[in-house]
Amino acid sequence: MASNSISRWLSWPRTSPCLHVQQAPSPSRLLPSSQSFIQTASFSTTPSLQKRKNKNQATTDPRIKLIRYALYHPALPRPLRFSRNRSLRHWTIHRAWNLFRAKERAAQQQDLENLYNSMRDACEALRHLDEAGMSEAIGQGGKDQGRLFRIAMMKRGVWSGEKNSGSGVPIEYARAQTEYPSREGWNYAWRR
Amino acid sequence: IGSRRRRAALEHASNIPFEQLPYQCFQEARRVLAEDRLDKVEKIEEQRKRISKLLEKIKTVETAQDPNGHTKLQGLKDSLFLSRKHLEWLKVQADINDPLVKRKFEDGFGDMSKPVYRHLADQKWRSYEHKIVMQRITQMNVIPDVLPTIDPIVQLNISFKGKRVQHGERLNTDKTEHAPTLRMQAFDQGERLVTIAVVDSDVPNVEEDDFDHRCHALFTNVRVSPTSGVVDLGEVAQESTVMPWYPPHAQKGSPWHRLSVWILQQPEDVTIDKNALSEKYTRNTFTMRRLVSQFPLKPIGVTMFRTSWDETTKDVMERNGIEGADIEFKKAPITPMRYKKKDGARYR
Repeated sequence: MASNSISRWLSWPRTSPCLHVQQAPSPSRLLPSSQSFIQTASFSTTPSLQKRKNKNQATTDPRIKLIRYALYHPALPRPLRFSRNRSLRHWTIHRAWNLFRAKERAAQQQDLENLYNSMRDACEALRHLDEAGMSEAIGQGGKDQGRLFRIAMMKRGVWSGEKNSGSGVPIEYARAQTEYPSREGWNYAWRR
Repeated sequence: IGSRRRRAALEHASNIPFEQLPYQCFQEARRVLAEDRLDKVEKIEEQRKRISKLLEKIKTVETAQDPNGHTKLQGLKDSLFLSRKHLEWLKVQADINDPLVKRKFEDGFGDMSKPVYRHLADQKWRSYEHKIVMQRITQMNVIPDVLPTIDPIVQLNISFKGKRVQHGERLNTDKTEHAPTLRMQAFDQGERLVTIAVVDSDVPNVEEDDFDHRCHALFTNVRVSPTSGVVDLGEVAQESTVMPWYPPHAQKGSPWHRLSVWILQQPEDVTIDKNALSEKYTRNTFTMRRLVSQFPLKPIGVTMFRTSWDETTKDVMERNGIEGADIEFKKAPITPMRYKKKDGARYR
């Protein structure tokens, strides 16, 4: 593929593209009819002039070609130039794809919102439960009202589980050593 | 010669319409957009039902004798305004992803009675020409000399004898002798009545060493809609003409005269009495600020052009019986202040 692109970039003047279509793969799934057809003739019947081939052509050393390509080839691909219909089709596909992605994102956000709401409602219901499992108004259920809720809200062992008796901080909270910004900031009490 | 797939399709039938071209990704995209359009159409139906319910509610609140009805009514009216705005947005969103609509608009065949084409035209105007108009009237100090501020919502172009005039363009006096044609493009639906005023804000006043305003044209109760906005100021009906076209004339020596054209919207179903206007103002006592404060008018469109003394002005003034073609204005000579000689000894 690379050599193909190098030779395309460096061969000058360009030869006309070949118009012969030897054997097209059958486009039967595109057409309403189930018949496949194979195109063997070229499209145009008028003879097209090709470049005259010199017998003793001065060819550049392929190693020089390679060096030039490595040093000078542009990083940007050549600009696309679309016809009116082509650009309209591109625009339609772009609009549809963006619409599709926006819908997906909205559905994901809605999903997360539903999850959060259900968790919040569950915690709220738990907060009202007393030791008999009955829902009372807050303050009416005795000292054990919402006990399970309070246990659920404890953060013990959130990071390291029960391994280090619930302590331990994730290593990502550690701070890489940098010069700026300093941990202490400006030292107002500094004296020489 | 186009892609292989297109050639294959065209083997069987020439002139396939654009939207039926057999490109897989394109047809998938069309399917997705068609689904979205159905969704939007459903939402439009729902929104219409909601608006009709709101209107009924407003009616009941208006007829009921409730002491707190005023605030309730205001809330309902705000809600109605927003619902209508959302309905317009839904109508635009239903059609805005259609490539045929885009093609039709780009080719200039957009039907301005449809909300999507109005939206596209508004977008196009605001992206460039609106900015140019605001820049020109701000740089030329039309704002705040004539009116303190304006937020144009109507595209206004003038042309003299078929030749379009750029905003702020300098024109010869013979070009502006006869009334121009105004082309107004409104971007919100419905008809409205407008007042048209043309003001010269640089008429020299020698006694006060200042400039006066002069009205060159005043028309009122002109009907304008998104589909019909072309008004030839020379052909306006007599009932709508307060002051017909008066050719701009800049006398020799006076600086550039700025002629600004203003479109002012009259409130819903309000007709302005032509006689009230002609009694209140004459050409030389007219100012836009007085007009806007004394009548319920809102400026919605503006443009301007400039004139000065040129080789055709004298003839135009004579033809139209305007005196003052032989006057030449000159700048008053400035007597320089006495040069205060500084004491040289201190600066050696």
